[in-house]
Amino acid sequence: MDAGIFLSILCAMAWGTQSVFLKKAMRNLPLSTAILITLLTNFLALVFMIEIGGGEGLSALVQVPMSICVYFMLAGFFNYFLGRALYYSSFRFISVTRSTAISASYPVISVVFALTALSEKLSVLQFVGIGLTLSGVYLLLVKERK
Amino acid sequence: MSRLRGHTESALASACFGLAPIFAKKGLLSGLHPLYGAAIANATALVFLIFFFVAARQYKGWAVATRTGLMFAVLAGLCNSVALVSFYWAMAIEKVSIVVPITCTYPLFTMMLAYLAMKESEVIDGFMVIGTLLVVVGVLLTI
Repeated sequence: MDAGIFLSILCAMAWGTQSVFLKKAMRNLPLSTAILITLLTNFLALVFMIEIGGGEGLSALVQVPMSICVYFMLAGFFNYFLGRALYYSSFRFISVTRSTAISASYPVISVVFALTALSEKLSVLQFVGIGLTLSGVYLLLVKERK
Repeated sequence: MSRLRGHTESALASACFGLAPIFAKKGLLSGLHPLYGAAIANATALVFLIFFFVAARQYKGWAVATRTGLMFAVLAGLCNSVALVSFYWAMAIEKVSIVVPITCTYPLFTMMLAYLAMKESEVIDGFMVIGTLLVVVGVLLTI
């Protein structure tokens, strides 16, 4: 198998697995503690990757201009802090499969934001994709209510 | 009520996950390496969470933490890290048009693993399978 395809499958498996581990962790941990541990583990792994990745290492991190940092800080706030807190919190009320499928519809949200912010145009396939995604989310919501 | 809260939280999480790449994309246009960007984003979230942890006295939660809970939380963090690194590595050596669609199939892995490992709390029925498949196929067509 091609290395790129293998790594892509590994990525999907790891992303798919982490939510199951998190749900199991939350049986014995408060939500905020569980998020803190995952974020801390993530951060240490990133620091390790930057250090062994060669190049300028961590010293280059402090030289990143503030004007660029702000974008990543906003991304971090919405993705890692707010998004992840809401996503993990939903595990307490609905199944991990349902929550993951609903939150996985985020590319549709990205496209809508891009449409608004960048005035991009959608192709027919993208319209079909948005329709299918919303149908899937609707099905997951309606079935749960019944 | 609790189900409604779960649905609302996962939908809002989707909105947050959808908004974040817009900012990340703007930051990456500067030419900064994605790992540095991810580290800044992660550190920001960590600072916010530590602030919340102290302000809301959430550190009391450590008292009820069990070894099993901590182990699973670390495993979840490691899985996140493996996903992040393999994603960037795959992007570096393979076409984006191949990597992104494959990685978007992760809800299917969650469903399979939940079915195998959490039978006591996860009910996987036909509606859930069809709903999850529709989301995955829809996202593949959208990106």
